[in-house]
Amino acid sequence: MQIAEQVENDIIEGVLREDEQIPSTNELAAFYRINPATALKGVNRLVDDGIVAKRRGIGMFVTPGARARLIERRRADFAAEYLRPLIIEAEKLGIDIDELAALLRAERIQS
Amino acid sequence: MTAVIDQPFTRSEPRLRPAEIWRIVRLHAVNPTVFFGVPWIILGGAWAITMLISLIVSAGTGVSIVMGPGAGGAPEDIDGMRYSWAVLSPQWYLVVVGVQAIGLTFSFALGFGATRRDFWLGTSLMFVLVSIMYAAAIATLVQVEIATNGWGLGAHMFDALWYGQTNWFVDFYTTFALQLLVLFIGASVTTVYMRWRMRGMIVLMSTTAAIVIATVAVITWSNSWPAVFTWLGGLGIVGAFTVVLGFAALFGVLGYIVIRRATPR
Amino acid sequence: MTSTVVRARGLTKRYGAFTAVEAVDLTLEENRIYGLLGRNGAGKTTIMQLLTGQLFPNAGELEVFGREPAEHADVLRRMCYIAEAQRYPDDFKPSHVFRSAPWFFEHWDAAFAERLVEDFRLPVNRRIKKLSRGQLSAVGVIVGLASRAPLTFFDEPYLGLDAVARHIFYDRLLEDYAEHPRTVVLSTHLIDEVANLLEHVILIDQGRILFDRDAEELRGSATTIAGPRAAVEAFVADRPVIGREGLGGLASVTIDGRLDQAARVHAAELGLELAPVSLQQLIVHMTGTDLRADASEKEVAA
Repeated sequence: MQIAEQVENDIIEGVLREDEQIPSTNELAAFYRINPATALKGVNRLVDDGIVAKRRGIGMFVTPGARARLIERRRADFAAEYLRPLIIEAEKLGIDIDELAALLRAERIQS
Repeated sequence: MTAVIDQPFTRSEPRLRPAEIWRIVRLHAVNPTVFFGVPWIILGGAWAITMLISLIVSAGTGVSIVMGPGAGGAPEDIDGMRYSWAVLSPQWYLVVVGVQAIGLTFSFALGFGATRRDFWLGTSLMFVLVSIMYAAAIATLVQVEIATNGWGLGAHMFDALWYGQTNWFVDFYTTFALQLLVLFIGASVTTVYMRWRMRGMIVLMSTTAAIVIATVAVITWSNSWPAVFTWLGGLGIVGAFTVVLGFAALFGVLGYIVIRRATPR
Repeated sequence: MTSTVVRARGLTKRYGAFTAVEAVDLTLEENRIYGLLGRNGAGKTTIMQLLTGQLFPNAGELEVFGREPAEHADVLRRMCYIAEAQRYPDDFKPSHVFRSAPWFFEHWDAAFAERLVEDFRLPVNRRIKKLSRGQLSAVGVIVGLASRAPLTFFDEPYLGLDAVARHIFYDRLLEDYAEHPRTVVLSTHLIDEVANLLEHVILIDQGRILFDRDAEELRGSATTIAGPRAAVEAFVADRPVIGREGLGGLASVTIDGRLDQAARVHAAELGLELAPVSLQQLIVHMTGTDLRADASEKEVAA
């Protein structure tokens, strides 16, 4: 479901604002060179999740509060998706938790 | 959700589909060089050579044309040219046209969604139309050649063999029959290849050879050759070419039967 | 609601002792894009020739638009199939092909065909015999797109096409399909590039259907697990393995199935690496048995 993730990213990054119309299924399909039916499935998942809603005869629009809900959900997954692999790899290399924290801080300054 | 709609299929297509047949004629004609261009180039080339030979021959024998009292009048008839086959020169090429109509155009037409039936009927119609045009042209050129006294050189290219003996209609009929036979032989033999491939061709060729040999043997052993020649002689030109036309029709029907289960290469 | 365009049951085509297509069951629904995938000689072209009435099956039932395709003008007029090795009439030029196409395809769009000719930079007045492989493919692609036939087959459509031309094909196909939905069957052995275009994948090998699945379901349906041999083997012990490779103490095993979050964490804790399997890799695993057998023999020999 890459399409759903792409649209979600656009919403989180503010490219797509709340109450703004998202591209049509065919536009998404053409842009990402994917099957329109696949794009439709992605959009339907966003509808099921309440991220976008259909306005009859016009198209799909980002729902109010969608961005906040997305961020909340991504935060919930953050530990499992990013932190645990990081900690496992760090342990493998003998980096303890304090050193890891220091590394993270140093990395943030660099970037 | 998916629903299989089992609509009872009503046959909405008529048995005879003029538009579907006509588009096959157009398909054969879309590249006009095949049926119209090359045969006329061959015929034109043969005519040019005939003219050249006539010029050489009349330059050798035709001193009287320039010097004699008849200068500017009718040139001497060049008799040997009555046996020239130049008028038939495009026929060999047209066998190839018949072969390619099936060997190449058939596969293409199937990809475009034509049925085998419509393809064969359309191809046959094309053959008939081409033969009519060609026969009319040859018969007319025979008359032109006679009227111009062999293009002013006493040449015989069209007024040769059996041509020019009677009238335009006989020349038309005989050319038409021969033309059709040539095209249908090329096409129908190729249908055998398209249906049974090389194995079919080997069987066809060996069967044909066996039949010819058997026929010759039977006639020879029964001492029937004089009777055969008498029969052929009795047919006359029109009768003989009616037999030719009959063979053309036979090949046409056989080709139709064979192509109905033929597959493209 | 969709309706069924093609229904085949036990479809079989034999050439003497060789069975090109064996007992194939197949259903194609209206207005979907299908991928008919498989190695060269798997039977893809034979299936398409059966479906378009060009070949006659030896056994089985076949209905296209509700009836047998062969010799039925009403069925055939709704299909377009330009074979990868299509034969053209002698001395034909692309211009002849495009001039005659509207006589056969009622939905032919001449303006679209012209635009495609420009896109592909196809020399329309050059003899087809003299075209390059890519230009020849372009002729078939243009006919397939511009014909807008309700059931369109593309047989290895991009052999010889360069990357730009292939992307033109994908873009035009998706654009035109969105505006004029129709059933499309794309046959190819080059899989990754088209994987995203497909809604449904039919994988064929040695004349049989290996699987017939929704493309979305297939994407990420398999996972490769790599790491120390013992750890990998322990991890995959009760999972369906479809591919196995090894080098010394390391192993790389591909399983059919998704891993849930807990399994992913567990794998990471074991020091295993997880990698998604592309459709192409998945198909290589499923149709490349002979190759793998060879490879393991060499390993044993070495």
